[in-house]
Amino acid sequence: MGAIPKPPKGHFNVLYFASASSFTSKEYDVLPAPLPIGKLFDALEERHSDIKEKILSSCLVTVNLDYVDVPNRDSEDASSESGVVIREGDEVAIIPPVSSG
Amino acid sequence: MDPVADQIERLKAQIVKTEVELQQLKTQLAELEASPSEEVAPQGWRWPLKEEEYARYGRQLILPSVGIKGQLRLKSAAVLVVGAGGLGCPAAAYLAGAGVGTLGVVDGDTVEVSNLHRQIAHSAARVGMKKVDSLIEYCRGLNPEVKYVGYNEHLTPQNAEDVVNAYDVVLDCTDHPTSRYLISDICVLLGKPLVSASALRTDGQMIVLNNPPAPQGSADGGPCYRCVFPKPPPADSVVSCGEGGILGPVVGVMGVLQALETIKLIVAGIGKENDQVPKEPLTPSLLLFSATSSTPFRSIRMRSRRLNCFACAASSTLTLKYLKAGSLDYVQFCGVISPVNVLHPEERISATQYKSIVASSTEERSLLLDVREKEHFNIANIPGAVNIPFSTFQSKSRTR
Repeated sequence: MGAIPKPPKGHFNVLYFASASSFTSKEYDVLPAPLPIGKLFDALEERHSDIKEKILSSCLVTVNLDYVDVPNRDSEDASSESGVVIREGDEVAIIPPVSSG
Repeated sequence: MDPVADQIERLKAQIVKTEVELQQLKTQLAELEASPSEEVAPQGWRWPLKEEEYARYGRQLILPSVGIKGQLRLKSAAVLVVGAGGLGCPAAAYLAGAGVGTLGVVDGDTVEVSNLHRQIAHSAARVGMKKVDSLIEYCRGLNPEVKYVGYNEHLTPQNAEDVVNAYDVVLDCTDHPTSRYLISDICVLLGKPLVSASALRTDGQMIVLNNPPAPQGSADGGPCYRCVFPKPPPADSVVSCGEGGILGPVVGVMGVLQALETIKLIVAGIGKENDQVPKEPLTPSLLLFSATSSTPFRSIRMRSRRLNCFACAASSTLTLKYLKAGSLDYVQFCGVISPVNVLHPEERISATQYKSIVASSTEERSLLLDVREKEHFNIANIPGAVNIPFSTFQSKSRTR
């Protein structure tokens, strides 16, 4: 994996870790900003069908290295978080659990 | 039989037998040397550690972050390593070296040749031996001062309480979601901090959970594994090191980091009022390691406990009794994979059958499509086969 370039103007990067990277066969995607966090999974599903069920349902999501709740999925504790909007230049990461060892 | 081959077999058998005897002698010696009668300090000795220990631990004793106080805390600490594989080997080795008082090791497997490229405490001579015995033998060779306890079994909801209870801190060095949730649950219930790590292919993760430990529902406790990953990954997406592959140093790095975090925890004083160290933050970081990335280490800031966590929230119904009764089906929770079954038996042929078909047919050549990943294909393949990995048309059909 080389250095991941800065996203172009009006966009943000989504980094794929572990099985998310194997699933998409990519290290990252570039998506248009702004995007409410609640719409992130739908945007990714459009690019990689089945990613919601196979990867996103069990992964954790960060924005600029901070853990965030995703409202659509974590509906119980979404209230405080539903306002988070991914902005231009943000770095979003999709981090599935790794369980081997 | 070939007399040379015969002699080789006899020598091999004799070596295995002698190794076992040697091991028994070493264990006897270590037990005698560690017996309390030896603990009596010589007349006039007024220092907290034995003379031998000053020599052994001198290089870490002079660190301001350890000191005599930290070493004594290590000496009185009992640490449990669950899993004697790629993570458990380096983790246990460094913990033994650092001089923890008691080191427990849990694993029900035996050493295989395919373990040796990464499970550094085992050896070619110990293939077939219980992993627990092999790892303890290795650690005892490093440091006979430590008390070792082996559990030659896997952790289960039934034995978890009895195994884990006597320890101060637990390391999750296992390889499956079922054990990860079980270990996290028992650590929440018994109030033990948990140093959890994992690795696959060229990626690793590490996080210190349930630290500080606090009763269920208490906001003073750190998050548990379920707070971080409330939902297990789909069963058919769970890949083992045997299936997905693993680079030795990747899992090694993660195990070494677990030992480091454990030493830091103990030296700072688990559950003690820390004098100089500020109280551990309730929001730990998840460390991500990607060996092939230009940024190999990333640290994610996590949240405190999840208010609706199944295990550590105030509303949790999880109890020791509930766990022991087997009311939680971890296998069911993590999902069961049914083998791919798209062909009827009469539609399948073996490689041997295929060979005889090719050999007997004179005119029409058949096309053999090999859909395994190209790394598998390159290891061995049938002459004439065309390799198109399944993953390539899987991802083509997905990407729109």
